[in-house]
Amino acid sequence: MRRHSTAPASRTHRAASPWLFLLPGLAVVTAFTLYPFLTTVHQAFTDTRTLTGGSWVGLENFRTMLDDEQFTVGLRNSLLYVVMVVPCTVLLPLLLALLVRRQIPGVTFFRAAFYTPVVASVVVVSLIWAWMLDDRGLVNGILTFLGASPVAFLGDQWLLLFSAMALTVWKGLGYYMIIYLAALANVPPELHEAAAVDGAGAVRRFLSVTVPAVRSTMVLVGALSSVAAFKVFSEVYLLAGPTGGPAGQDTTLVMLVQRVGTGLNGRVGYASALSLVVFAITLVLMLLVLRADRREEPT
Amino acid sequence: MPISRRTTAAILPLLLSSMALTGCGGGDDGGGSRADGKIEGKIRFQTWNLRANFKDYFNGLIDAFEKKYPDVKVTWLDQPAENYAEKLSADAGSGNLPDVVNVSPDLAHPLAKAGVLMNLDREKASSRYRSEYTPEAWRGNALPGLDGTYAFPWYLNTGPMFYNKALFRKAGLDPADPPRSYDELFSAADTMARATDGEVATLAGTPSVEDFGRYGVQLMNGDATAFTYNERKGVELLTRYKKLYDKGGLDGQALTNTPEKAGQKFLEQKVAMNPGSAHDLETFKRDAPSLYKNLGITEAPNNTGKPNMYVMGLAVKENSEHKAAAIAFAHFVTDGRNQESFAHQVAIFPSTRGSLDKPYWTHDDGTDEGRVRVASAKLLKGAVNYTPVVMSDEMKTVLQNEVAKALQGKKSPKEALDDAVAQSNKLLQQG
Repeated sequence: MRRHSTAPASRTHRAASPWLFLLPGLAVVTAFTLYPFLTTVHQAFTDTRTLTGGSWVGLENFRTMLDDEQFTVGLRNSLLYVVMVVPCTVLLPLLLALLVRRQIPGVTFFRAAFYTPVVASVVVVSLIWAWMLDDRGLVNGILTFLGASPVAFLGDQWLLLFSAMALTVWKGLGYYMIIYLAALANVPPELHEAAAVDGAGAVRRFLSVTVPAVRSTMVLVGALSSVAAFKVFSEVYLLAGPTGGPAGQDTTLVMLVQRVGTGLNGRVGYASALSLVVFAITLVLMLLVLRADRREEPT
Repeated sequence: MPISRRTTAAILPLLLSSMALTGCGGGDDGGGSRADGKIEGKIRFQTWNLRANFKDYFNGLIDAFEKKYPDVKVTWLDQPAENYAEKLSADAGSGNLPDVVNVSPDLAHPLAKAGVLMNLDREKASSRYRSEYTPEAWRGNALPGLDGTYAFPWYLNTGPMFYNKALFRKAGLDPADPPRSYDELFSAADTMARATDGEVATLAGTPSVEDFGRYGVQLMNGDATAFTYNERKGVELLTRYKKLYDKGGLDGQALTNTPEKAGQKFLEQKVAMNPGSAHDLETFKRDAPSLYKNLGITEAPNNTGKPNMYVMGLAVKENSEHKAAAIAFAHFVTDGRNQESFAHQVAIFPSTRGSLDKPYWTHDDGTDEGRVRVASAKLLKGAVNYTPVVMSDEMKTVLQNEVAKALQGKKSPKEALDDAVAQSNKLLQQG
């Protein structure tokens, strides 16, 4: 009799318990990720403005993109950012990690020094870079001292974009270096010793031992840095200014979202449509990176 | 593990309620109190970056108001200078806009259009104060496409043009005779570029919409429904700027310089002239004493005879629960006595009738500040706000980017301005 009366309650308890544990997390994700995402998807098909609710316009916002010169510029710059920045953030931190993992006197200082830009505020470092790259800043001062002509780092659309890319790479080096250091710690030293006995030089050991051993980490770094590079905002905004560089030619997609979607006259519907495009391309980038990893997986 | 219906039934309402909780409110939902009701209740008053320097002034003002109206409690909020428009839009969107809010006409326009601000001309409780302000200031908050005025006029400002006398002397220009018209400006800039071999630029920025206005370009049609700055005079101005840019008369980073960056370049004595405000004098004195010693102050170049004027106002929220108290407070802050008292604290100018005729604004006391104050007050009498209130930040960026294309030679000045007008009109039509 007792067993009969408690069994259904126990079953309910068993079914509900995991959900109750998940509830706080689910509520946060629903409130701050899922709901805004679904709202963005809905608004992408409306002409919502900052202060007025919109009406359904179908694919109009996406059609507007095709005629929007700034969208083309933003897409070009964001993709270029991925193409230029990702290889650097995948390879350079690995080389840096190989350098600082050696147990030599003072190496801790260099590890900390390389990590410092990661903890520094992006706004502060961007402003420092802007001062250094100014037409009469430190870099041009050195160039002039050496007899070279000053370079318009912040006045030319391409130099400005490449300067922002250099800043992104420099700022990310330490972060990815730490990830690689953790991965390198798991590479058995015997592999290197065996390769050395077989006569492999440093480059051969790097290519045949280190790279295969940290390949999964390289994919992870590639995925993280591609998403970050495609969504770049702060560095370009702070170096290029709110107009997006000379004639807006350094605008990235996320800068465009910010420009059209904010303010009292913000075109929230159009900004939402742009955000969806950013989301879709980011998703494709992630899938491509993961697919590349799977293809290289040894069978 | 299968999810039972009972579990789903227990969790779903919680999830839905959390979604409802995070959902933005539907904006102001109508209602509000009577404008001519009893002056009582708790109201919120929001200023724009004033707490840091004027905390005591505003606390005193609020104390005085609460003493006069003991049934009213005022809570003062202050927002930083940056992203003020974003703050206003978030507050208005969530129905949380303060009862009395500091706005400029370009910020008031979208808020009034969305029905968030009270039309002061419609209510007797507010319109009866109209005669206390100068007609220009009251009209300054009358918004195109909307009947009436949407903010009590508060303080005014006009931008003097600062110039570096030492750089003028270096270029062989007369520091006692700075350029006052655009002809004189282009001529001086040409001389400066030639004499210094492009080392010193005259200006740090590209022409703004105010420059087009002061040059005499018609910026919009009569009913403010279309931009017209691509007319002959607009093209002429941009063509002259293009020639100046090619000669090195503009700073190398002029295409990307923000007003703050341009100010910094002037401070560093890399450019010879820069528009500013009377606030800047303190900065020059503190941060650049060598510049301050050589500082010249003149009017911004002008072909129309009417200088530019910046207008600040205090708007009342349409759906305020204590509208009568909000109107009384907005009027109290902007009445003649309090505006004049505020203008004695900082280099701004009152918008109340007759205030600028008082000796403080008509007699130079021999100090630099006094000289700028009297000169600026004189200019304000015929001043106009050149920036069209319907011109959003996005439209200003469109103009700036098209101007940059013309200066780079990627488009002719005519093409650039035609494109800027076409893009801006499209944005304007989208509402």
